[in-house]
Amino acid sequence: MTRAEETLRKKPKKWLINLVFIVAIIAALAISFSGSRINWTRFETIGISLRIMFTGLADFKFNFLFGTDPYHFEEGVVYMTLVTLAIAFIGTFIGAVLAIPFGFLASVNVVGKKIARIGEAILVIIRVFPEIVLALILVKGFGMNALTGVLTIGIHSIGMLGKLFAEAIDNMDKSPLEALDAVGANSWQKIRYGIIPQVAADISSITLYRLDINVRSATVLGIVGAGGLGASLILSAENWNWDILGTILLAIIVMVLAVDAVSSYLRGKLL
Amino acid sequence: MTKFTLENGKTVTKPFNKIWIIVGVVILLLYLFSLLIPVNLGLIQLSELKVILQKMFSPKGTRTWGDYFGYLLTLQEPLVDTLSMSFAGTLIGSLMAIPLAVLSAKNIVKKAYIYLPARTIMNLFRTIPAMVLALIAVFFVGIGVLSGIIAITLFTFSIMSKMLYEVIETIDMNPVEALESTGASKIESLRYAVMPQVTPIFLSYLIYIFEINVRSSTILGYVGAGGIGMIIKDNILYNYDRVGASIILMFFVILVVQLFSSFARGRLQ
Repeated sequence: MTRAEETLRKKPKKWLINLVFIVAIIAALAISFSGSRINWTRFETIGISLRIMFTGLADFKFNFLFGTDPYHFEEGVVYMTLVTLAIAFIGTFIGAVLAIPFGFLASVNVVGKKIARIGEAILVIIRVFPEIVLALILVKGFGMNALTGVLTIGIHSIGMLGKLFAEAIDNMDKSPLEALDAVGANSWQKIRYGIIPQVAADISSITLYRLDINVRSATVLGIVGAGGLGASLILSAENWNWDILGTILLAIIVMVLAVDAVSSYLRGKLL
Repeated sequence: MTKFTLENGKTVTKPFNKIWIIVGVVILLLYLFSLLIPVNLGLIQLSELKVILQKMFSPKGTRTWGDYFGYLLTLQEPLVDTLSMSFAGTLIGSLMAIPLAVLSAKNIVKKAYIYLPARTIMNLFRTIPAMVLALIAVFFVGIGVLSGIIAITLFTFSIMSKMLYEVIETIDMNPVEALESTGASKIESLRYAVMPQVTPIFLSYLIYIFEINVRSSTILGYVGAGGIGMIIKDNILYNYDRVGASIILMFFVILVVQLFSSFARGRLQ
């Protein structure tokens, strides 16, 4: 027997564990699909549904896109897309500004381990609370309009931004701070010349990344009345107005791709 | 622009800081966008926020706290629906993503006419929010868990293929070359040189995406895709206490899954 064959035989045989694992996964999948509320008869009509969808999608509504007669400009997809973008942009800005104090609060370097734990816990709670539920609650106080969307995105973004900001602050090099101490700088000067230059690039890049995510969520927040494209999106989908839905979908795709491209270009320049 | 005269008589000019251009652009954009957000102070009723929170997190009318938490126990079925939607969707979507990810990787498929279209498909898919996928799925297969599975499968497919192809592109190519020089076929080199390098990261992404999916599937029910979200939609008009109870359940499910996910991903690394 050659050495290669010997080594091959010594290889642990894991087929039994793998088999058990695969069987378990297949069983779990089967259970997932056996949910009583799956209506398999709907599959018979899928061809008809597809035909309805594609004829609808092909019937592109230009007057709806630009908000010309019989629609008002404010009802047009172009205007609503801009509102969605505005919700995402201002919301992200508010979130980033609010996340800075939270970032400091959750950073071990700045406030010590004990307080950082509390700060982190607050951020986890904000992150875990679903965005749409937050919008659902805020709608009652701020009304069915874009302002609610801005606030929802602003508040929800704090969760992730605060965590990443805290990490950026913790990863910072502390020697510039010591150097500033040595030349007798005061706290403000330490923040201005010791901390900001180090974390500014990280913070901007994280915020741009969050803008990407927020543009996507801003499109659906309107489902609960928080402004933007969402309201017409759910109305047209529930009434099977594929012509209108197609126009909205196109707007979403173009907007998300554009924001994606701008954000990754800017992030590339920052790094 | 400020000029400084040094001791040796030379003058230095402090360079213009480009940060002011960025600050200016951000402020301009904030101003322009704020024109699109109408703020009508008459519509803001902060007291209503307190009212709704009170309604959500206390029993309604003649119901007791026992009823409030007793209702949580009746939510087993939607809870199982939410978890099974996320599980099935994550698994199927991730498996579907593997071939597309391989086709998109520049270092494996060296032909631009294959990897460019593959990437385009993936980028187009990625722009559509999961909620919209659910809306469309509900149109095809009706209200229920299946629409949720379809929506989550497509969503997972789109982000997993992107994350995975980026991993494949950064692998060490030496084992691949070594295998190919011994006469291994493309499939064999994928199996024995690429897969061992990618699998741990793939599993860690799988768990991470499962976490994202549980988060979104709790709410997908709002548009009819089954799960806890559907309970919220059904009760939002009259039974705020039930909405509140569902929100509490949702919160804990997401929290538990997130803790599990960070634990499991920590173990994988």
